[in-house]
Amino acid sequence: MQRIRIVLWLLVALAMAAFAFLMLRPVQETPTQPESLALSSIGGPFTLTGSDGKPFSNASIAGKPYAIFFGFTNCPDVCPLTLGRMVKLRNALQAGDRPFEILFVTVDPERDGPAEVGKYAELFDSPVTGLTGSSAQIEKVKKQFGIFSQKVPDSSGGYSVDHTSTVLLFDRKGDFSGTIAPEEADSAALAKLKQISA
Amino acid sequence: MRRFLLATLLLASCSKSGAPDLQISDAWARETVAGQTATAAYMTIDNRGPGDERLTGVQAAAPAKAMLHASESSGGVSRMREMGAGLALPSRTAMQLKHGSTHVMITGLAGPLREGDTMKLRLTFDKSAPRDVDVPVGARGR
Repeated sequence: MQRIRIVLWLLVALAMAAFAFLMLRPVQETPTQPESLALSSIGGPFTLTGSDGKPFSNASIAGKPYAIFFGFTNCPDVCPLTLGRMVKLRNALQAGDRPFEILFVTVDPERDGPAEVGKYAELFDSPVTGLTGSSAQIEKVKKQFGIFSQKVPDSSGGYSVDHTSTVLLFDRKGDFSGTIAPEEADSAALAKLKQISA
Repeated sequence: MRRFLLATLLLASCSKSGAPDLQISDAWARETVAGQTATAAYMTIDNRGPGDERLTGVQAAAPAKAMLHASESSGGVSRMREMGAGLALPSRTAMQLKHGSTHVMITGLAGPLREGDTMKLRLTFDKSAPRDVDVPVGARGR
């Protein structure tokens, strides 16, 4: 009888240890970087067209941290919401932080020329760089940054574009640093932005 | 008894057939810049009545067109879809048309909308009479 009781207590202890292990083990961070791209290969040199119609390349922002977002100017909800949030977060940085550049790249170059992206970027009362390019240039940059987009026709005869809603962050050396997802809390997003702005 | 319970459950799951009573508030549309032909409008539709209602359509003054859209973001991709079946407005519930969710998508704007302007939208419903709503144009990055 005594032996059975000891065995039972041992089992209880084992169960408690297993439970404690499960609860206390470090939670695996889910990778936030775009899929199918190795971390270090995201981003890199690019050449697009600025709102003045002149080439805009990674050299134009050399030495500056940046947040890059892909969208389209006829996107009335998610894109202004995301860019407005980035401006708000940039304003929330402290004096010692180096403000990051905000780049907006269209995934709809057929409708969005230099003038369209330039005017769209003016919506935010704070410097946002609107960029476009030839279809080939946009496709190349999308691939480089792991961005998905797809046209979807609507009932008004036009189309909308499904697209990656994640903002990608790069430090001042141009190295990929992380991402900000729309559902992420401002505090978490700000912590990541402080990292590239340090 | 089981049949009675089943009938009660079925009744409870049906829509409430009383009169809806709609209050529309906090309407605004986002300012646009020259050349931009699309924007979004938001509002709160509060159904204070005992009956359920459905927002079946939205119209804007020509040449602009309005559609009820839902934005959603999943798997890192943002999608915008027309809500073909409209928006349910359950009894005694306030539905918010807001950022990143259900909103009125307006396309084909002839000119830019400036802060301080007002645009008119007509909302049509399943049961209630159509409602014309004055929608003030709100600040840019709002």
